[in-house]
Amino acid sequence: MPPIITIQNVTKEFKVLNRREGLKGSLKDLFSRDYKIVRAVDNISMNIEQGEIVGYLGPNGAGKSTTIKMMTGVLEPTSGEILVGGNIPYKNRTKNAQEIGVVFGQRSQLWWALPLIESFKLLKDIYQIADREYENMLEMYRSLADIEPLLHKPVRQMSLGQRTLSDILAAFLHNPKIVFLDEPTIGLDVSMKSKIRELIHALNKEKNTTVILTTHDMGDVDALCRRIVIIDKGKMLYDNDIEHLKGFFGSYRTLKIRVEGILTERAEEVKAQLPDFSVSADEEWISVLVDEERATVMEVLNQLRSSFDIRDMQLEEISTEDVIKKIYEEGVE
Amino acid sequence: MKRKGLGFYLKIYGKILAQDLKSKMSYRADFIISTIGMIFTNIAGFVSFWILFRNFPSINGWNYYEILFLYGFSLVSLTPVQCFLDNNWSLRMYVYSGDFIKYCFRPINLFFYYQSEVFDIKGLGQLAFGIGTLIYSWIKLGLGFTPLILLKTIVFLITASLIMMALQNAAAATCFWIQNSFYLLDLTLKFKDYAKYPITIFSPVFRFIFTFIMPIAFIAYYPSLVILRPDEVPLLSWLSPLFGCAFFWFSYKLWMFGAMKYSGTGS
Repeated sequence: MPPIITIQNVTKEFKVLNRREGLKGSLKDLFSRDYKIVRAVDNISMNIEQGEIVGYLGPNGAGKSTTIKMMTGVLEPTSGEILVGGNIPYKNRTKNAQEIGVVFGQRSQLWWALPLIESFKLLKDIYQIADREYENMLEMYRSLADIEPLLHKPVRQMSLGQRTLSDILAAFLHNPKIVFLDEPTIGLDVSMKSKIRELIHALNKEKNTTVILTTHDMGDVDALCRRIVIIDKGKMLYDNDIEHLKGFFGSYRTLKIRVEGILTERAEEVKAQLPDFSVSADEEWISVLVDEERATVMEVLNQLRSSFDIRDMQLEEISTEDVIKKIYEEGVE
Repeated sequence: MKRKGLGFYLKIYGKILAQDLKSKMSYRADFIISTIGMIFTNIAGFVSFWILFRNFPSINGWNYYEILFLYGFSLVSLTPVQCFLDNNWSLRMYVYSGDFIKYCFRPINLFFYYQSEVFDIKGLGQLAFGIGTLIYSWIKLGLGFTPLILLKTIVFLITASLIMMALQNAAAATCFWIQNSFYLLDLTLKFKDYAKYPITIFSPVFRFIFTFIMPIAFIAYYPSLVILRPDEVPLLSWLSPLFGCAFFWFSYKLWMFGAMKYSGTGS
C-alpha cells in the first residue's frame, strides 16, 4: 500500500516586508517595497503510512503549522510535492477536506451555541455520513468515553477539556483517513490530558486512522507516538522511532548527587573536575549528564567520591523531554 | 461522495437555521429584548420619516406615498443582507485573530459555511415593517394588483437585495487585504440610509457616486421607477437585474478569492 501522505522536497517561502523602527520607519514602510524572503519550511521530505501516529515536534516558529497548513490545503507549497490520500491538497481543498479531520487545541470548530449532538447531526449531513456508520461511530464513542453528559450541553458551556474532547470526537466522526491534532492537550489538567491521550490512542486503534500530532508536551509523545519528526527553522532535524531517539546522542544518563554546603557553589568544583560533562545544580541536587560512551556512571561516581563527601545519590534515565530539548538547543551534529 | 447541489445546501441551511432559532429562543429575555429593540428601531425610522413629510409635502416632485413606497421597498430589499450575511460584520475579527482558519477545513462551500453560521432574526421584523409599508403605500397610490406588476416588483426586489448583499460582501472581503475594513463596511451601512430617497434630490456628483461607485441608487430608486413611473423608466432601471447578478457574482468571487488566499496567523 502506498503511503497515505507523501511529502517530497517541500519548501514554503513567505514574502515579509522589512519593517523599520519607530514612527518615521512606519511611514517609510508605507511606501517601500523592501521585502525579504523567509523560508518557513526548507526542503522537507517524509512518508507517512496509514495508521501511524506521528509526533510532529519543534520549538515555536519552527514551521510546524506551516507544514500542517500545506497538508490541509490552506497553503500552497512554494516548491515540492505533497500528496494526501492521493490528493494534492491545495488544488483539491474540498475533496481533501472530506478525507481529513483537523483539531486546533484552542479553536473549537463546533457550533458555539449548539449542543454537541446537534453539531454531530450537522456534521453527518455536511460529510454525508451514512446512517449506519454514524450510529456505529456514536456507539463506539459511548464505549470509549463518557459522552452522555456532553451530548446535550451547548459547546460554549463546556470546560476547555470537554470542548477539546468534543472537538476530537467531531474530527473523527466522518471516519477520515488522517486526523491532524494541533496541540490537543494545551491548557488541560493532568487527568483530562490522560483521558484525551487514551481517546486518541483508542480511535487510532479502532479505525486505523493516521494521526499527525503537534505538541509541546512530551507526555503526549511518550503516550502516543512511536515515530517522531522534529523540525527547526524549517529544516528537518530528525525522523525516526522514539526509541532510536534516546540513543541518538549516545547513551546518556543523569547522575544526581548531594554533598555538604551550598550546592550551586559546589557545583563549580564538580564542573572543574568533570570538564567533559554538563553539570547543573538546583537546591537539592547537583546533576551530571553522563555520556556513557566516554565514561560509565560508576567511573564518574568513583572519581567524585575521591574528592567529595557524597551524602546521597540518584540515577535518572534521560527523558524524551531532555533529548528533545538538547536537539532544539544544539541541533543534530 | 455525492454531488453537492442547491438541494444539499438548502437542507443544511434549514437545519442550521432551525437549531440556531431553537437555541436563541432558549434565552428568553435576550430574545424578547432584542425583539422589542427591533420594533422600536423600525418605529423610530418611521417617525423621523413622518416628521420630515409633515414639513415638506413633497420632495422634488415625489409625493408622500411615493416616498413611503421607496422606504418600504428599501426595507424589504435590505432584509436578506441583514438576515443571511450578518456574519460579514465579524469577518474582520475572525481574520485578524486567525480564527477564520477553522472554517477552512469543511468539504463544503466556504462562503456558504461561513455565512450559514449566523442568521439575524431581527431582519424578519424589518421585513414585516417593509411589506406593511409597501402594501399601504401601494393601496394609497392605487397601483392595482396585476400579475405583471407583482412580477416586476418581485424581480426588482430581488435585484435590489443582490446589490446590497454585493456591496456588503465586497466591503467585508477587503479585510483579507487591509486591517481596518470596518470603516468600509460601516460606510456601506451609513450610505444605505440614503437609499430610501429619490436620487434626483442629490447633487449630480452624488448622483454619479450613488449610481456607479457605491450603487445604492439601485437598492430602491431605480427599481422603484419601474413600478412608480412606468412612463419614464431609464435604461439603468431595466439593466439593474443584470447589474445586480453581475455585481453579486463579482463580490462573491472577491470574497472567495480573499478567503482561499487566507492562511491564518501563527499559532
